[in-house]
Amino acid sequence: MRDAPPGPFDYSRKWSLRLVFLLGAVFLYVPIIVLIVFSFNDSRRGGNVIWKGFTTKYYGRAFGNEELMIAFGNSLTIAVISTIASVVLGTLTAVLLWRFRFPLKSAVEGLVALPIVIPEICLGVSLAMFFSRFGWGGIAEAPWPLNLTNIVIAHITFSFPFAAMVIRTRLASFNPETAEAARDLGASEWRAFRDVLVPHLKPGLVAAALLSFTLSLDDFVVTFFTSGPGTVTFPVKIYSMVRFSVTPEINAASTVLILLTLVLTFFALRYQRIAS
Amino acid sequence: MVAISEKAGRRPLVFAAFGLPVLIWLGLFFVVPLGIIGLYSFGENVSITRIETTWTLANYARITDPVILELFWRSLWLAAVATLICLAVGLPMALVIATASPGAKPWLLLAIMLPFWTNLLIRTYALLNILGTRGRLNDVLGWLHAKGQSLLGALGLDHLGLLGERFVPLTLLGTPAGVVYGIVYVSLPFAILPIYSSLERMDRTLLEASMDLGAGQWTTVRRVLVPLALPGILTAALITFIPALGQFLTPDLLGRGQVDMIANVIERQFKKANDWPFGSALSLVLLYVTFILLAARAFADAARTRRSERDREIAAAAIRAAAPERRASA
Amino acid sequence: MPRFRRPVLARPALGRTALSRRRFLAGSAAVGISLKLPKGAFAEGGKVNFYNWDTYIGESTIENFEEETDIEVQYDLFADNAELFAKLRGGNPGYDLIVPTNDYVERLIEAELLLSLDHSKIPNIENIDPAFMDVAFDPGREYSLPYMWGTIGIGYRKSAVDAPPESWEDLLASDRYAGRIALLSEPTTVLQMAMKAQGNSLNDWSDENLAAAEKMLIEQKPRITAFAPDNGQDLLLAGEVDLAMEWNGDIQQIMEEDDDIGYVLPKEGGLRWEDTLAIPVGAQNVENAHVLINYLLDAEVGAEIADFIQYATPNAAAKALMGEEYTANPVIFPSDEAMQNSETAVAPTQEQMQKIDEAWTRIKASS
Repeated sequence: MRDAPPGPFDYSRKWSLRLVFLLGAVFLYVPIIVLIVFSFNDSRRGGNVIWKGFTTKYYGRAFGNEELMIAFGNSLTIAVISTIASVVLGTLTAVLLWRFRFPLKSAVEGLVALPIVIPEICLGVSLAMFFSRFGWGGIAEAPWPLNLTNIVIAHITFSFPFAAMVIRTRLASFNPETAEAARDLGASEWRAFRDVLVPHLKPGLVAAALLSFTLSLDDFVVTFFTSGPGTVTFPVKIYSMVRFSVTPEINAASTVLILLTLVLTFFALRYQRIAS
Repeated sequence: MVAISEKAGRRPLVFAAFGLPVLIWLGLFFVVPLGIIGLYSFGENVSITRIETTWTLANYARITDPVILELFWRSLWLAAVATLICLAVGLPMALVIATASPGAKPWLLLAIMLPFWTNLLIRTYALLNILGTRGRLNDVLGWLHAKGQSLLGALGLDHLGLLGERFVPLTLLGTPAGVVYGIVYVSLPFAILPIYSSLERMDRTLLEASMDLGAGQWTTVRRVLVPLALPGILTAALITFIPALGQFLTPDLLGRGQVDMIANVIERQFKKANDWPFGSALSLVLLYVTFILLAARAFADAARTRRSERDREIAAAAIRAAAPERRASA
Repeated sequence: MPRFRRPVLARPALGRTALSRRRFLAGSAAVGISLKLPKGAFAEGGKVNFYNWDTYIGESTIENFEEETDIEVQYDLFADNAELFAKLRGGNPGYDLIVPTNDYVERLIEAELLLSLDHSKIPNIENIDPAFMDVAFDPGREYSLPYMWGTIGIGYRKSAVDAPPESWEDLLASDRYAGRIALLSEPTTVLQMAMKAQGNSLNDWSDENLAAAEKMLIEQKPRITAFAPDNGQDLLLAGEVDLAMEWNGDIQQIMEEDDDIGYVLPKEGGLRWEDTLAIPVGAQNVENAHVLINYLLDAEVGAEIADFIQYATPNAAAKALMGEEYTANPVIFPSDEAMQNSETAVAPTQEQMQKIDEAWTRIKASS
């Protein structure tokens, strides 16, 4: 009934809310557009400052910059692994705290929340020392992707509490009697979990995955301290380049990364739609 | 909105399946490193790189310095303002996504996440381009001002000086306003996602029932929608506020180094000042402050649970009382 | 502390012909310089992890090195001495060659984080200008060898000032240019320049000097536009500020984009810094690191690097190969007169660092 007038709670069709959404989107996207526009700027430096003419040569240069490409690859790899692990660990945490009563529960709740709270530089430094003291320091020499292990561990550690919080929010609207009913009907714990709880959690899982992916892809501070030779990620590389000047090459590289992630997500969504 | 609380001992295997991975991970990769930081906070630099834990309170004592306390206060304030703005903007946006058609939903989600897959530093530099006194925003405002002046002129009202003599560019960079802008910019998706998550597939029949029972639209929003979204809103507030407290890039770049926040001081201790004990102490105090907030949230949660359980019991008792005959015949 | 980003396309030769290998060999034979590399040093190949500043090497230096020596170079970048130190302090994750600045070399030596260099494996050491061979921060160059040097002074927009700024006071004490000033965000450096402005040595961290410098900066803070970590030159170029405390190479770079920019060392003097090559403790490829150091100190290679990044080279043999446009550039090689009051920084002690940080926190928190 697409022609029916919007119901009172059809918020996505109300003009006032659509306007707010649009303004919010403009707010978010204007710097991105500036970024993309200036990636075509024909200026050696002051990439974002003075427009000097149109060129696409910086895209060529970004693609030709082998280290930049390797950093891309590292960032995406780490983000994907870290997201999957964070959502899994986050779900376990959320269900654990939601369902069970056990001694020292509030202590555990607090503990789970700490990685969100701790300043990144503190976490980065402490993990770096932990890794070097307990013998994992040489991991950078390991073959790819094992050499990224330290960084992945660090990313999971600070992402999964975020994931847990988001998933726990979703759990708040779950009626436990549904799960009990399933168990009464003979389903095992695992089946009850997989077929009753998880489907309800899905929006929370999606939100948690998006959050974890974003946190990992853009992390700089913790990654800097836990990375070694040859395990540079995109933000770390950019950070060391941008300190000089935001050249069009950097803007071009970022645009390419956006496009790449867009394409990947597009395919993931298509696959999901086909699969379901 | 009921949390069950099953005693862990009743189903030890299930409990272990959920609990062990989490506890082992946290224990190994978080508690141990954090323990190192804790030890440092009670230590002192005996040489340029060695720290000895002498159980001194000197680092904590330094935190009572009025300048540090002022920075803490300023950070709490700026983070709070940014969080409120994020919630105010995030709630409508999350609503739009949650109530959109299933086909549009993933694209809308993608649309708000996409900017955040761009490197933060580059985005912030792009913001510098826009917000500067000669930046794009002021270009637009200046153009609007000029148009406004000519409009007033056409109406013969220009002598009133309603729009002022000249256009004064908006100065955002180097001010707290600019820093708040930056924090909001960085935090908005973190506000939107949890609210979306709790609103998704919300039971619209509840809203419609409330309207049917005579409540107006606004009342329904206030008393049905917002409570439904409340867990999401609280989570959104927390995961926006807490990282906002830890921002140091935004004050450095958008604040032009003029609006220091506590995280700038902490970051300096671990780098330029090479004073890891003091940095550790500051970090732990920051942890305690946010801890208190999280504890407050836990209390609120528990209170809500108890209240809703009590409400359920009252409702159940009312139903039993109202229909004893039916039970007798069932 | 380089901040130079040159275009990858080499500038068209402005009266200076490009060096080609054949020309060089012909010329060097005439001059008696030869590429000295230790025999058999690279017979085994292997790799080396080089940790350097961004755009702080010649265009094809690394590729050429890999070709000649069969050693694979893992080239990573860092952006800040303090970050480098913090990272090494926690345990070297595997870097073989690093490029710390002089005051951090001092700290690294004190922290016993550097390996002694084996000069016998670096015959090109004789290319270095003797003035650089015995320095206070590393006597006898036991742990480090010079790579590039430069200054910190004042970048300015010529059309916005009546005359080239002569003193730090224009940035740090006067309100003539209020709202048009950018300083660095490095606490030690800014306070050092404030001390210079007051006529003190930038290494004299007595309580009185520090307090006076702090007071000066707190009073000046309302007139300052930005404490820029590295983009002061961008602010200058964009017209957001007219005066910037900056590294000479950064200003040199934007001078190429805009004729209206100039650079000057104030009369009280600026900071003279030196970036060095060093091998951290925990390096896995020490031999290869020595080979790389020796290669970078080679005259031709040094000239190629200097030509590309336009910083001052301490390599006398390399400098001899450069044209006048480089050697006579006052931004790169200030005259002795301009440099007379400039000093090299000595690393403050830990106690001094704490006082500096507290002063800086107070300055940044004031309004």
